Amino acid sequence: MSYIELLVFVSYSVKLKSHRPLTESELIQGLKEGDESAFKELVDTHKDRVYNTALGIVQNAEDAEDVAQEVFIQVFRSIHSFKGDAKLSTWLYRIATTRSLDLLRSKKSKKRFGIIQRLFGEGDEPAFEIPDFNHPGVALEQKENAARLFRAIGQLPENQKIAFTLHKLEDLSYQEVSEVMQTTVPAVESLMHRAKLNLRKILEKEMS
Amino acid sequence: MKTDYNKKTEEILNSLDTIHKAAAPDFFYTRLRARMEKESEVPATRPWILRPVYTFAALVIVLLVNAFVLFKENGANQTTTTVDPMQSIAAEYNLNDNSLYDIAQDK
Repeated sequence: MSYIELLVFVSYSVKLKSHRPLTESELIQGLKEGDESAFKELVDTHKDRVYNTALGIVQNAEDAEDVAQEVFIQVFRSIHSFKGDAKLSTWLYRIATTRSLDLLRSKKSKKRFGIIQRLFGEGDEPAFEIPDFNHPGVALEQKENAARLFRAIGQLPENQKIAFTLHKLEDLSYQEVSEVMQTTVPAVESLMHRAKLNLRKILEKEMS
Repeated sequence: MKTDYNKKTEEILNSLDTIHKAAAPDFFYTRLRARMEKESEVPATRPWILRPVYTFAALVIVLLVNAFVLFKENGANQTTTTVDPMQSIAAEYNLNDNSLYDIAQDK
């Protein structure tokens, strides 16, 4: 093998190695060392699932992007506390659901404060209804039904909302949902059952 | 009628069965990095004791203590000034000692 052939072979192997996706432990190690490329790979790999989860819960595209950004910032800052006892994706789902619920709570309290302000004639902002949420992944013929369902999902208790969203929108199995929610599979089954019952009740009430 | 409701409810409940996952918006990473850089530029938060609300509260406490001491001082001064002239008059007319009677008895 000539010198030039050897050089080409080495550069090709290095190129191959640099394009190989990092394993999860390599990714975590890279993140702990503050490696920029590891962080970019983490974001590129997981941004869609984090965004989709947040979108399902907060039901607003801008808020979902905000939440997704916060999730990655939190991961970047607290990667040293990640013990590795769960998968990275499970950890990301957990942060995404917590952050989304935090956002919903803060919006709710702001809304309450706004109502009080309007009662005392201080609030200048006009009261308006939040428009129906249209998920970008819903087929055109299902848009109206899906919007009604999302409105009903918004009225579910937090735990049921998380279980339903992760299972229905993110296609996670009950086992995976239980890992994200740090509970058991029967508990998730029960949450899903109650969520469906509640959704049915809400929808029937709306229609009657 | 009820079957219609049930049918519609089922339809709505199944409307997410064919849903596709939403993808994160374009340039998500660029915007994320920009936000992280912006947040890192924010100066470190001041210690709680230097927050305006605590500084103002400390100022109010100092002023109140000053006012209290000032009023107390004034009160004390007033009592001394009321006592002092009496004593000086008594001293001036020799009302406090028995020397006058002593002199009269001596005579």
